[in-house]
Amino acid sequence: MTDPIVQVRDLRKRYGTLLAVDGVTFEVRRGEIFGILGPNGAGKTTTLEMLEGLRTPDGGSALVDGVDVRRDPRGVRARIGVQLQEAGFFDRLTVEETLRLFAAFHGRPAPAAALLERLQLAEKRRAWVRTLSGGQRQRLAIAVALVHDPPLLFLDEPTTGLDPQARRNLWDVIEDLRREGRTVILTTHYMEEAQRLCDRVAIMDHGRIVALDTPRALIRTHAPTATVALAVADELPDREAPLAALPAVRQVERADGEVRLSTTDPVETVQAVMALHRDGTLRFTQLRVEEATLEDVFLHLTGRRLRE
Amino acid sequence: MRAFGLTVLLFFKHYFRDRTSVFWGLLFPLILMSLIGVAFGRGESVTFTVGFVRGTGPLAEGLRRGLAEVPVLRVVDEADEATALEALRRGRRILVVVPPDVAGRSGPAGTAGAVGNTGPVGTLRVYFDQARLQDARTALLILDRFVAEANLRLTGTAPLLRLEAAPVAGARRLRFFDFLLPGILALTVMNSGLQGTSWVVTEYRQRLVLKRVLATPVHPALFLGGLVARYAATNLVQLAVIALVAVWLFRAVIVGNLLVLAGLAVLGTLVFVGMGLAVSTVSRTPEAANLLGSLLGFPMMFLAGTFWPREFMPAAIQPLISALPLTPLVEAMRGVAARGDALTPYLPGLLYLAGWGVVAFLLAGWRFRWE
Repeated sequence: MTDPIVQVRDLRKRYGTLLAVDGVTFEVRRGEIFGILGPNGAGKTTTLEMLEGLRTPDGGSALVDGVDVRRDPRGVRARIGVQLQEAGFFDRLTVEETLRLFAAFHGRPAPAAALLERLQLAEKRRAWVRTLSGGQRQRLAIAVALVHDPPLLFLDEPTTGLDPQARRNLWDVIEDLRREGRTVILTTHYMEEAQRLCDRVAIMDHGRIVALDTPRALIRTHAPTATVALAVADELPDREAPLAALPAVRQVERADGEVRLSTTDPVETVQAVMALHRDGTLRFTQLRVEEATLEDVFLHLTGRRLRE
Repeated sequence: MRAFGLTVLLFFKHYFRDRTSVFWGLLFPLILMSLIGVAFGRGESVTFTVGFVRGTGPLAEGLRRGLAEVPVLRVVDEADEATALEALRRGRRILVVVPPDVAGRSGPAGTAGAVGNTGPVGTLRVYFDQARLQDARTALLILDRFVAEANLRLTGTAPLLRLEAAPVAGARRLRFFDFLLPGILALTVMNSGLQGTSWVVTEYRQRLVLKRVLATPVHPALFLGGLVARYAATNLVQLAVIALVAVWLFRAVIVGNLLVLAGLAVLGTLVFVGMGLAVSTVSRTPEAANLLGSLLGFPMMFLAGTFWPREFMPAAIQPLISALPLTPLVEAMRGVAARGDALTPYLPGLLYLAGWGVVAFLLAGWRFRWE
């Protein structure tokens, strides 16, 4: 395996009395999409901005593509593409002019046409930035981050505030970046986004990384229960007690014509449920097994929900 | 260098696409110029309307004829003192002169102040308009000079010294708009920096546009230099349009070298954009920056000799006027534009102006924050 593209050791940042980032250590491998997941105020953006050379760490170290962020922040910025949360544009420049301007800031000509094509902005190239929709602006922000063809991209909450379709659209764009061999580090507070996009996820809370692994491994380790959901055909007045006694079942809930069994071993529970179905004791029209999500992982690790 | 050129070009476009700003940036100075021109610039040059209460003796008649010959005085005959004072109170006269033979018969009356000149011949009483103290003072000075001359003649003393005044704009008489236009141009340069730059940069900071720029490896000098250069360029365009309108509409005349004038405008732009940047570093919001910019700009707008000669201001604030950075710019631009002066006598003032620019940029550089 090649060297990690980002190496972070015990990184710290304090704002007054608030420890925004409290000793964070991780590595990011070349070519992966690395997610930092956590609620607002967890220290995700501060961590990212230290790696981008925009904020000076109070302690610890970080190497980005071999460059020390404390020693040469501008050198770091030349090697990375950055999409900042909520950063504005020059409103009355066109999309194409914006790319040319930012390419000039990187000291190179803009591959404008190709970039606009890739980010589905070709037909908007002569439109003022001010007239773009939220999704188009985010795609432009990513285009701006790509003008100098960097191997590593930082995306800070790229899909926040977008409608579901624009979000899916942007997910495709980000997956394309990985396909091109780029490394992407993104923050998000949407667990489904982290689950869908990220090869590995660091879960942050109160300035610390509380867990770091692939989404699947995180779920296996920290939220080992699955849910077996049964769409019941008719009322089953007194069947809850026997259901709760089935192997591996922890909890039984009823909602929306469904019976939901929380289980530590979905295979065993499904076999037991199928046995009941065969002998006619329990009638149901559908059976679904739902895996736990990163939301459950977060709940398990912190005792709180992500968006509280 | 190519990057710098592109930056300036795009900033330039960005400005000119803001039609409202461009429109007001041109219209405001022009409105100001026409209002001030209408208020103060009637006629070829400054005249003071003086009421003269009709007397009976030959002395009164002689004084009246003498006063009428003074170029800047317009003498209006008054039937009696009461009607003359009424006209003074309504602001139709700047002074009311009462000849000795009438003055001897009546005492000082009314609310207007009075000065007297007692002598063997008689008292020439003068009432002046306290509401227009500056003009009144100037008119009184002229009158005082006139009385001194009259005294010399009456006593038959030969004058030892004679004053010979030469017109200052060569063969051409300086019209009010010729005087006003350079002041308006200098004012426009100041406003673009103090109000324009401070607002724009603070807004870019608040909207995290500056942060987005910071996220690139661009050197701050390229970005800020590009911004300064675009202000220099837009100011030159703006000044050219204002000057053209003034020449075409108000028949203002620029006698000096246009390139020198443009050079002065660029120097002024650098200084006041620097001050605008400094203002932006201590302002959280564009509104706050605007307020602070106005606070600095307004006194200069009215004191620095922009609209009327600084000599009209009380002697007490003359040192303050000399200290304002706009004053040397107004004086140099006026000297070049209206009188065709060489730059040499203005160099110390311009150096002082440049000093302000250096201090402003140091302050801005020290305090500048990208977010």
